Amino acid sequence: MSRRLLTALLAPVAVLMAVPLVYIVSLSLRSRDDVLNGGLLPSEVFWRNWPDTFGAIDLPRHLANSWVVAAGAVALTLAIAVPAAHYTARARRSGERLLSLVLASYCAPPVVAVLPLFYLLRTTGLNNTLAGLVLVTGLANVPVAVWLLDGFVRRVPQEIEEAAWLDGLGGWGVLRHVIAPLIAPGIVASGLICFFLGYNELLFALSFAQETSVQTLPVALSLFQGDRNIQFGRQAVASIVGVAPVYVLALLAQRRLVAGLSAGAVK
Amino acid sequence: MAEGAITRPAGLTRRRAVRRARLPRVSRWQAAPVTAALLVFSGYPLVYLVGLALTESTLARPLQSWVGSDNFRNALDNEIFTGSLWRSTLFAVLAAAGQLVIGTGLALALAARARRLGLLGGLLLLPLVTPPVMVGVAWKLLLAPVGGAVNGTLALVGLPAVNPLGDERGAFWTLVVIDTWQWTPFVVLLVYAALLGVPEELREAAVLDGAGHWRLLVSVVLPYLRPALLAVFLLRLVGGFKVFDIVYVVTAGGPGAATNTSTYEIQRTALESFQVGTAAAETLVFSVMVGAVATIVALVRRRAVRAER
Amino acid sequence: MSQPLFRPGTSRRTVLRGALGLGALAAAGPLLAACGGEAGEALDPTGRPDLDGVTLKVLVNQPNAGAFEILRKSFKAETGADLQITPVAYDKLLAKSVLDVQSGAGQFDVIMYWYVGLGTLAAGGVLEDLTAYIKANPDIDTGDLLPSIYDPYTLYEGKRWGLPFDGDTHILYYNTELFERYTLEAPRTWEDSNAAAEKITKDSRGEHYGVIIEGQQVPIILGCTFANRLVGFGGRFLDEAGKPVLASDEAVAALQSVLDAAPHALPTPLQTGFDQALPAFLSGKAAQLEFWTDHSVKAQDPEHSQVVDKWDVVTLPVGGSNTKPATSLDAGFALGVSTLSKRKEAAAAFVKFAASKKQNEAQIADPTSGSDPIRTSTLSAPVFKKSFGRAADVVAEGLSGSPLVWPNGPKAPELLQVLVDELALAFQGKQQARQTLEKVHSAWEKELG
Repeated sequence: MSRRLLTALLAPVAVLMAVPLVYIVSLSLRSRDDVLNGGLLPSEVFWRNWPDTFGAIDLPRHLANSWVVAAGAVALTLAIAVPAAHYTARARRSGERLLSLVLASYCAPPVVAVLPLFYLLRTTGLNNTLAGLVLVTGLANVPVAVWLLDGFVRRVPQEIEEAAWLDGLGGWGVLRHVIAPLIAPGIVASGLICFFLGYNELLFALSFAQETSVQTLPVALSLFQGDRNIQFGRQAVASIVGVAPVYVLALLAQRRLVAGLSAGAVK
Repeated sequence: MAEGAITRPAGLTRRRAVRRARLPRVSRWQAAPVTAALLVFSGYPLVYLVGLALTESTLARPLQSWVGSDNFRNALDNEIFTGSLWRSTLFAVLAAAGQLVIGTGLALALAARARRLGLLGGLLLLPLVTPPVMVGVAWKLLLAPVGGAVNGTLALVGLPAVNPLGDERGAFWTLVVIDTWQWTPFVVLLVYAALLGVPEELREAAVLDGAGHWRLLVSVVLPYLRPALLAVFLLRLVGGFKVFDIVYVVTAGGPGAATNTSTYEIQRTALESFQVGTAAAETLVFSVMVGAVATIVALVRRRAVRAER
Repeated sequence: MSQPLFRPGTSRRTVLRGALGLGALAAAGPLLAACGGEAGEALDPTGRPDLDGVTLKVLVNQPNAGAFEILRKSFKAETGADLQITPVAYDKLLAKSVLDVQSGAGQFDVIMYWYVGLGTLAAGGVLEDLTAYIKANPDIDTGDLLPSIYDPYTLYEGKRWGLPFDGDTHILYYNTELFERYTLEAPRTWEDSNAAAEKITKDSRGEHYGVIIEGQQVPIILGCTFANRLVGFGGRFLDEAGKPVLASDEAVAALQSVLDAAPHALPTPLQTGFDQALPAFLSGKAAQLEFWTDHSVKAQDPEHSQVVDKWDVVTLPVGGSNTKPATSLDAGFALGVSTLSKRKEAAAAFVKFAASKKQNEAQIADPTSGSDPIRTSTLSAPVFKKSFGRAADVVAEGLSGSPLVWPNGPKAPELLQVLVDELALAFQGKQQARQTLEKVHSAWEKELG
């Protein structure tokens, strides 16, 4: 099929996907009585939401917290998941058992785990700290990363590993010098996905960050939701401000991601 | 450097070494961090969860006294909860399947179009980045029966108004659509990545055999993608089972119990009516069910992976 | 007082501990830590804390965050103590305060609570007993606190666990322009209200809706809708002895009245929460709305309202054979001291400060606070009349009468959950009004033993 035809096919889908997003932008420009005006666009552009949002909540602080938590969590997740995925992909039965265990741990919804984890964080002095949020969010995403990375490792031809082994490298050596460089795009892809997950994580952030100074953006968004008279306009502003930098990150990472992905795809 | 199960004994001949090398080469210690993580993040909460499930426990006073299976009985006697198990399963399967089909289609189209996602592809990723709470709010307002943009637009072109969130089936399907809208990009991203990995030789061989676009897709590309598709499906399946934010924001489980999924019900039981013991029992029942469904998919994937070797 | 891991005297505690202990090495540390207890020292009722330079951490209901900014300034000016305010969504407030104390985190000195959670918090060891403190501080002037809210908000098992802060009630807002256009009178009874709803919705052919029925099945939304009719028809949730009386004829008539209104309401009641209700009223799309008193401020704000000077309020209508109007204590908040606070005297001093006559009037004077009167004297203060305008008489009437009290014992959250679940089924047409309330009644009886 020609490129133009495909573009013509994809464009409407992209537009359809974009409707709710356009609507969020439009919400950010509406006054309260204009929210349900029956149209996609504001009847009258109401700019005041933008300065008002920055006045009402400490948006830069929430944004910074979200980035710290998401980035820290990704680092932790990958530090655990990369060696683990090498193991699950290569250690045969024991590896498959571990993979199943990882999957099993992902099946339980985390609501009730909030209670024991709360004790854990308090005991270690990490309650109400960004470090505590990094820890729980990072651990929570390990299963996703292991599952994705496992496929990338399996794509690496075993012969390459054998050669490295004959050169006298051990498990960690093979991982570091052979596997890691080969699955780098996979690491970027999984990292990116874990970043999104961590960036939007709500339950833990809501439970383990009591003070405003450590609250992440999703918590701030949920606070808008917790008002009886919801300020949709401001909520939309905060969302857009939160999404924009992540989107730029995604676009930047995409190039690197896709460029190398042909080397080792998910499997 | 710590070595695990398979270390190389000294003095092996080169031939034997090569044969041994076909065995997995990996240090047992590489599994140590994830094992520790599982213990802390899953093992310990699980023990606590079992403790809660077997005792009279409220949020303020957990582990009061032993009640045996009472909490499980409460959970299984509660029609909303037992119904939620079915709803969650249906939701997870429908949403994950929808995302897989649409996502794979989009990824194929994108990959055929160019070897870069480009701006168009980037646009497709946006829903994934948008905070779930805002996603729910936007959809809810779009679909508002009075003053929502959807009905406003329908009225402009002379079509009758709709209110999908007003009836049981409509609300359920709306949530499936929203979840699909938000997570299809996840599938696009990963399947697109996997597609780029299809070896050129495979394609060429198929084309030499005279395979057309369709044959190439069905007999070469899709089988190659199968393990990746199953892994992505599995992740979205479990993700669908755990759906919470959009239920909370868009329908609050209603109308009636039509969209009350298990995670929403567990949250309600634990953090709104504070019956933590019952909520723990519900969590265990639910997790076993999710585990069972996930295991089936995981086994299928394992077979696909092995078949490829 | 620390939280015991097991209630003392539990015969199977050893068995349980053994079962839990086995294979639970990872759990042991944190579990034990949980019962290690770091509760602050008991509150000294006569203590005179030095407040200067102290910072109190306060857990606050999000919609009241503005009110606390006002309080913070005056508290600081008067005592030198500062507040660190943590707002939480209204539906997370109770869980958050319980978790904070249960986990031993102890992040807060002062806890704001919805009175429905009183029993949960008191029995759960979250709130400090303030009985002796209140007795030792006659300047609190408890005689001036509105009797209709003082007990429901703070009295559990004969002890006082806090002081009222915001005496929330619902009133009925209606769009005068729409009522005039269809030659309707201000509704006095629920029958009037329903008739008006039907007329407006029918005659306007979908351009307007006669009423907004907030039916999203969470207690603070659907619960209010039902409670408002229940009190209008002369019904109650619980009798004097705390036994459920929900299967009464009054209750059934009340529910039937809501169900009758539903077909003429903004579509559809079950999906209507605050987020759809308020814009519908403020844009002039719908004619009647039961809501909190602070809504009047928003309705008069030209920036966000198209109904400025086109609305009025009445006290909640009556229904059936009942002719005596009364209001329902929908929401309503009090302040208490956390058992884990390390500055209990200072915290109690702030609770007292916030409940004082002067501060209550200052809250009322500022229309952005959203706070309502908690004192008899406030109802007769000129500032009240000035701020509440046309709503003042209606609010005063409601609060000085004997309003409907929601359950507030330790089981209350559970009871309300059952209630709204069953009400939703009735809205869906899956069960009749009587059948619905009989089911709720027997579920409540079972829970309350």
